[in-house]
Amino acid sequence: MKNELYFAFYAIKKNIQSSAELRTSFLMNIIGMAINNIAFIILWVFFVRSVGVIGGWTAVDIIGLQGFTAICYGLSFSFGAGIRKLPDYVASGAFDRFMLSPKNILMRVATSSFSASAVGDIIFGVTCLVIYGTLIHAGIPQVLLMFLLVVLTTVIFFTVTVVVYSASFLFIDAQLVVNGLFELFFTPSLFHGGAFQGAMRAFFIFIIPALLVGTLPVEIIRNMSMGKLAIVGVFTFVWLVLSIKIFNRAVRKYESSNFMTFGG
Amino acid sequence: MKELRLAKKILKTLIKDRIQYPGRLFADTFGIIARCGILLVLYAYVFKINNGVINGTTFDIAAWSMFFYFSFSTLGLRGISRSMMQDINSGHIEVLLSKPITYLLYRSWWQIGMGLYSFIVISIFSTLVLAAIVGMPQTMTVGLFLPTFFLAFIGAILLSLCIYAIVGLLAFWIEDVAPVFWIIDKAVMILGGSYLPVALFPDLMYKITLYSPFGASLFITHTVYESWATVWHKLIGIQVFWVLVLGVVVYMMFRQAVKRVSVNGG
Repeated sequence: MKNELYFAFYAIKKNIQSSAELRTSFLMNIIGMAINNIAFIILWVFFVRSVGVIGGWTAVDIIGLQGFTAICYGLSFSFGAGIRKLPDYVASGAFDRFMLSPKNILMRVATSSFSASAVGDIIFGVTCLVIYGTLIHAGIPQVLLMFLLVVLTTVIFFTVTVVVYSASFLFIDAQLVVNGLFELFFTPSLFHGGAFQGAMRAFFIFIIPALLVGTLPVEIIRNMSMGKLAIVGVFTFVWLVLSIKIFNRAVRKYESSNFMTFGG
Repeated sequence: MKELRLAKKILKTLIKDRIQYPGRLFADTFGIIARCGILLVLYAYVFKINNGVINGTTFDIAAWSMFFYFSFSTLGLRGISRSMMQDINSGHIEVLLSKPITYLLYRSWWQIGMGLYSFIVISIFSTLVLAAIVGMPQTMTVGLFLPTFFLAFIGAILLSLCIYAIVGLLAFWIEDVAPVFWIIDKAVMILGGSYLPVALFPDLMYKITLYSPFGASLFITHTVYESWATVWHKLIGIQVFWVLVLGVVVYMMFRQAVKRVSVNGG
């Protein structure tokens, strides 16, 4: 395990160095993504101003929601961007090289690529959470809870992504299908959390865990709700185990495309 | 005549391709369910707790307005930026420029053709579903609606292609246009009335929507409101103005850009 982690960190370091070579593009991606994310705050803040407080959610909570979601997305897709290339790897036969590697396949695939723009998401997310913490006058317990929730929700986000992208082994040219499925998970996580009520809320916690990555963490911090924290904790474990099992089973479906070419 | 034949050929080929490989249709269907479907369910709840009216707008009108945005987005016209960037960065542009076709027209028709099948299927199906669930507002049943909607729709296609073509052409000058694309795309998303219907916009934001090309590129979302009957000629006029201005900008940029193409052989 220690060796696997050492290799993963080494791969991430090399990926970052490689991306940073194109310095202007690297910086533009980071800044551009951070600006881009502001759009969702503008939209939902205007929404709150128009319709008022719903489910106890104010404009401040929207900032926290966007912060958590952006950090989860950023951490998962900056260091683990390779998982989004899985459909390409499978369709082109490039997955062979991961199969032949003596390292853990999932870790090798995830760390095979790096996304500079996702670093912009991390910066944006951290800024939002700092603003959120300041606005709600967060004490030490809430700040510690924020750190814990960032870790838990990032694990949930990444593992759900692994489950979704494991579908790449089931379809021919699966890129569009898995992107559609990912959208079904990711888009609701950006929506106003207070508007999800009743069956809709249950569906997006227990079936599609979109609310686990943004909405529930905000409500946990705001209300210091240990019950909801327990739900997030249990689901982190469940999705972690589930994703490893599903990924390993899906890999068995892989058939090398064996793209052979001749000549130089 | 030659240009029309090319357009017909591109559209026919791409529609056949999409029918053969329905992956994009699945993805777009998931996309519209994830974005529009869930959003409408949330708005239904929000309108319900506000006694059915917010800012003088009822749920059915807000729902159709947002639906027009998401339905139009399945055409995928914004993808023209990425296609152009790929042509330029890969050097493929050199091949396309040497052919006896107009590159900008070719790329525009190609982009329309790529999304046309999904757009038609999803729009027809979703329109029927939405009409069955929330019903048709009275504003959509008046005689003026269909012809003016059609005009706003054509304007939306032309203006979207111009806006995103400008972003794509920037690839001749800057290495990676993705960050510019994100910012422009979000401006269109906010001012187009996607997640927040235009009726709920604050005054200043509404004015920016009316007079900026980003908001004007999605005036189809305004067609369902009662005010459309009195302001449609003004809004279509703004659309025509922006199409002309940005059309000239695209043309000038393209002329400058072509001079920068360097063929390195290989």
